[in-house]
Amino acid sequence: MELIEMEEIKKDYFLGETVVHALRGVDLTIDKGEFVAIWGPSGSGKTTLLNLIGTIDEASSGQLFIKGEEVKKLSDDRRTEFRNRSIGFIFQGFNLIPVLSALENVMLPLEIMGTSFSNTRKTALKRLDEVGLSDFVKHLPDKLSGGQRQRVAIARALVTNPSLVIADEPTANLDSETSHKIIELMRDLNEKEETTFIFSTHDQRLLDQVERLVRLEDGRILNGGSEK
Amino acid sequence: MIKWIKIALRNILKNKRRSFVTLIAIAMGFAAVSLFQGYIHNTYEGLRQSAVRGEGLGHLTIYKQGWLEKGKIDPDKYMFSQEELKRISDLVEEDEDVILATPQINISGLVSNGRTSTIFLANGVIPRDDKTIKGAWAAFRPVKGEGLSEKKPYGVEMGEDLASHLDLKPGGYGVIMATTLDGQMNALDIEVAGIYDTGSSATNDKYMRVPFGFAQSLYDTEKADRVVVLLNDWKKTEATRERLEDTLSGVGIVCEIKTWNELSLFYLKVRGMFDMIFMFIFFIVFIIVIMSVVNTMGMAVLERTREIGTLRALGLKRRGVSLLFAVEGAMLGFLGTVFGIVLNVIVWAVIRAAGPTYIPPGSSSPVPLIVNLVPQSMFFLMLFLILLSLMAAILPARRAARQNVVDALGHV
Repeated sequence: MELIEMEEIKKDYFLGETVVHALRGVDLTIDKGEFVAIWGPSGSGKTTLLNLIGTIDEASSGQLFIKGEEVKKLSDDRRTEFRNRSIGFIFQGFNLIPVLSALENVMLPLEIMGTSFSNTRKTALKRLDEVGLSDFVKHLPDKLSGGQRQRVAIARALVTNPSLVIADEPTANLDSETSHKIIELMRDLNEKEETTFIFSTHDQRLLDQVERLVRLEDGRILNGGSEK
Repeated sequence: MIKWIKIALRNILKNKRRSFVTLIAIAMGFAAVSLFQGYIHNTYEGLRQSAVRGEGLGHLTIYKQGWLEKGKIDPDKYMFSQEELKRISDLVEEDEDVILATPQINISGLVSNGRTSTIFLANGVIPRDDKTIKGAWAAFRPVKGEGLSEKKPYGVEMGEDLASHLDLKPGGYGVIMATTLDGQMNALDIEVAGIYDTGSSATNDKYMRVPFGFAQSLYDTEKADRVVVLLNDWKKTEATRERLEDTLSGVGIVCEIKTWNELSLFYLKVRGMFDMIFMFIFFIVFIIVIMSVVNTMGMAVLERTREIGTLRALGLKRRGVSLLFAVEGAMLGFLGTVFGIVLNVIVWAVIRAAGPTYIPPGSSSPVPLIVNLVPQSMFFLMLFLILLSLMAAILPARRAARQNVVDALGHV
């Protein structure tokens, strides 16, 4: 079943009078439950592609459907709600809220959704337990290691049971042992819960684990989006 | 909502120095406005007492229609006859909020000690009723000597400076002269029964209080130019005026009723001046609070741009971002005003303990500097400053909410 469908997606940026063509007509389809890596050199358009799929950016032209809905036709509020319910984000720099504890950070998406406090807390604790951080729930982000922070970010991304998790270079700031654990964790969640993972990476260990590799270069998909 | 309050509070505590400066600005602003408000509250209270009891205006004064405009030209025509005075007094005193209705008459002329003479303005009052009107105020500006009394129909109270110019002391004698309502010269002996401080250097060398009957004798009349009404509560002044107007016009008495604040020119002028100063101070505080909160929240928005991007990516709507910063602004306002209340109470206690005095312009003697604590005003000022801080935070918050999510996430 198709989760994401992109047709002739283009994205241009304007730097003063210079136009930068970040994506030059991308066609891509991703099914539910896939574990997909977007791979390519710096400046190839990986992050731009993930931003568009994550609905936090808009394409200059082309059509993007997520769960059958055309993203362009959604209002900002509807798109934001859609993001909250259907998409989880794992950022390269973790992006945890510094004044909130690990548990509060994980509870945040559910609180934005309006879930009751007791359910929110129960679900967040369960997710933190799954990522092996049940002993660190009260710690603020600056009291956690890089790997622990990334695991909090993963728990936060999964707390709403999204259909899609987008991860931008999820192992870039981690040592190899922590990276390995994070990759295993994501793979495990993908297999157990059929959560679709799409991530950009340069990390060969992560690339070895993926089912599908989408290779981007100069704003175009080179391999038709189906290499492994 | 609790979540946003928690985040707001933690962010305020996280940036201690910046938050402290903003809180101090709000606290000082609050305390400045509140203390000044407390001071003018006390001053208005004092001026009201001074007008109602000190000047003897009572709360309401009833004049025959036309007296205020033409009474000086043809006083006899616009004064109340004895019969009218009785009817008015009886009707007015039936009102449940009226303590007293008493006739009075203003006279003017020359007063002499036998060697030198000067002009005077005097109020003819019924001594017993005058004591009722003065009430506890009498202790604030005590009369030296016996004071007015029914037992001494020619005994008068004289302003301090007037007595001093005429070299008269309590028990001393003099003569007052004036033209009667018919235009004849009349003169009566007086005994200085008391000397008092009017409270104003402008009137201390002219004013006297004389017994009502004595004033009527000088003008050779049985009439009075007004009826002064004392109420049990000054707050009922306006309502009672309306009621009495209806009552008196209902029985065919054509009159006009003035309130104490309409008649006390000094009260009106001082109030006008203080209101203007208050607005000026309030405006300065208004600007300081807005600038402080806008600056603090502007810095917070700039520093937390990535956080805003993250929250938007996690599904927080634009109005949610605005709310987050608005709550933070309101929280600054709340904490600032709480510190302001503490500061206000400390300064109030210090003033109370030190008991400083000062001589206001035009006053003949020092008055204590008193600042009232007015909880109701403090509460409204607190609400206003919280609202103001919230509004001031909304400006940078709206800017934050409008940011592109990708740009916000990429902010360094």
